[in-house]
Amino acid sequence: MTDKREITLTVNGTERTVEAEPRKLLVHAIREDLDLTGTHIGCDTGNCGACTVLKDGEPIKSCLTFAVQADGSEIMTVEGMEDLPEASGELHPLQEGFREEHGLQCGYCTPGMIMSGKALLDENPDPEEGEIREAISGNLCRCTGYQNIVKSIEYAADELNKEPAAADGGTVTAEQRFADDDFDCGVENCCGGPSTETPHVEGADPQFDDVGGDDT
Amino acid sequence: MKAASFEHHEPTTVEEAVSLLESLDEPTILAGGQSLVPMLRFRLARPDTVIDINGIDSLEYLHEEDGYLRIGALARHADVEDTDVIADRYGSFADAAPLIADPQIRNQGTVVGSMAQADPKGDWGSVLIAHDGEVTARGPDGERTIPVDELFLLPYDTSLMDDELLTEARVPAPVEGEGSAYHKLKRKTGDYAMAGVAARLVLDDDGRIEDAGIGMTAVDITNARAADAEAHLEGERPSADLFEEAGELAAEASNPESDEHGDAGYKERMVDVLTQRALGDAAERAGAVKRRVPQ
Ligand SMILES: Cc1cc2nc3c(=O)[nH]c(=O)nc-3n(C[C@H](O)[C@H](O)[C@H](O)COP(=O)(O)OP(=O)(O)OC[C@H]3O[C@@H](n4cnc5c(N)ncnc54)[C@H](O)[C@@H]3O)c2cc1C
Ligand code: FES
Ligand code: FES
Repeated sequence: MTDKREITLTVNGTERTVEAEPRKLLVHAIREDLDLTGTHIGCDTGNCGACTVLKDGEPIKSCLTFAVQADGSEIMTVEGMEDLPEASGELHPLQEGFREEHGLQCGYCTPGMIMSGKALLDENPDPEEGEIREAISGNLCRCTGYQNIVKSIEYAADELNKEPAAADGGTVTAEQRFADDDFDCGVENCCGGPSTETPHVEGADPQFDDVGGDDT
Repeated sequence: MKAASFEHHEPTTVEEAVSLLESLDEPTILAGGQSLVPMLRFRLARPDTVIDINGIDSLEYLHEEDGYLRIGALARHADVEDTDVIADRYGSFADAAPLIADPQIRNQGTVVGSMAQADPKGDWGSVLIAHDGEVTARGPDGERTIPVDELFLLPYDTSLMDDELLTEARVPAPVEGEGSAYHKLKRKTGDYAMAGVAARLVLDDDGRIEDAGIGMTAVDITNARAADAEAHLEGERPSADLFEEAGELAAEASNPESDEHGDAGYKERMVDVLTQRALGDAAERAGAVKRRVPQ
């Protein structure tokens, strides 16, 4: 009576089929059947947002929907970010933003934050800070205190808005990026105003270095 | 935790859904799933069959028609946020929608599903009370209308029959001189209300209150009407003093329970304050001069 059913999902642009019992949550199909473990599970109640994915472009909590309900839809998970054209084959500006702005510590909330950030920037490429906070209001972070997450998404918005410059082969430097930032407390990687030549703080925990463990 | 096994049905028409409701043994309807999925996961509900109505395209609407704002069973909370006629004419709906849960949940959860859920902490029940709303239930014997005051019986319990599907919630379209608002107190973004108040006022040509509606969230066993406060307002001119009296009457009508967020006395006081604020906004939107009310 609870026979498995074959469902088809277009996940990050690729059509995939999954055999699912009706009671299987979308998040379990994504993690266990499709082996895309970037989407996290952080709670049982629908509160934390770690499981956020885009379904037909809209952010939803994949722990609050059954896989059978997503049959025929397009799902985007954090793994799809670097395949987007804006990523130019590397990290997407949103992912880069979380690295540059220290938008993560343990990283548990990060995939969900990135998907909520993606949904926001798709709708509103130049959001106000308040709009960013509203967009991530369904995503809990126990580590960062949110300030740097907001900055990470602002970073991505800035990058994406100046994409043409980067698209013709040039890279955008930190100086350019912060050129119109008028507040800088003088401390590297603080207050949105680092003027470092290297993208990491000297002597900082190596997991935050750009060759460190958080992106491997 | 995982849900217990169930059979999944996906009707594509209301008729098909109703005949499934009639023929299957204790089926449960799945709309946005934002309340039902957690209940299934915690096995607070263990239905053998789930009738998923998300494929019934005819239930996907939200518009004004024949003198009503009509909310189809598949209109999501986010649709309320994004609908122009609501932003322009239905202050209480426009206030309440962005205060419900969070963006992800609002993309999935439905207004009508909230009515069926009958959670006393749900926001839409109060808004519908303030607007004298009603719902349409469709069962094997056809359609019937249930006024919102007759819908909620107990927490999570409605007067809906097991074989009935709610197809629509609706409120009368606002008349000239009408304004409405919703105020909600919650501990943090995304939370359910500690207390919430929806208010609607209609002013006559003379600036007197011709009709008033007040619905309260999370302060009784169901969403509740503050009938004495409504009666006190009718025939009077809007003023801060009048709204203060109405706030007190609403607080008296409320019946909150103490919990980790506050004791009953505090919540009653909050009902009072939220009522004054909601009435103040409703009066302003109805075209009355803004009166000073405590903020
Ligand atoms: C973390 C979190 C926070 C939330 N915060 C809030 C909040 O602040 N305010 C608020 O109001 N709500 C809140 N909700 C609940 C949310 O609004 C739900 O969307 C809503 O309560 C139910 O709507 P649904 O469409 O998701 O219904 P479902 O979960 O699909 O169904 C709920 C119940 O109603 C029945 N049902 C649904 N549709 C019909 C129908 N058409 N006919 C007959 N029966 C039907 C189902 O069988 C089930 O019993 C929150 C939920 C979560 C998970
Ligand atoms: S896992 Fe926490 S909201 Fe989905
Ligand atoms: S970085 Fe640890 S929860 Fe957000």
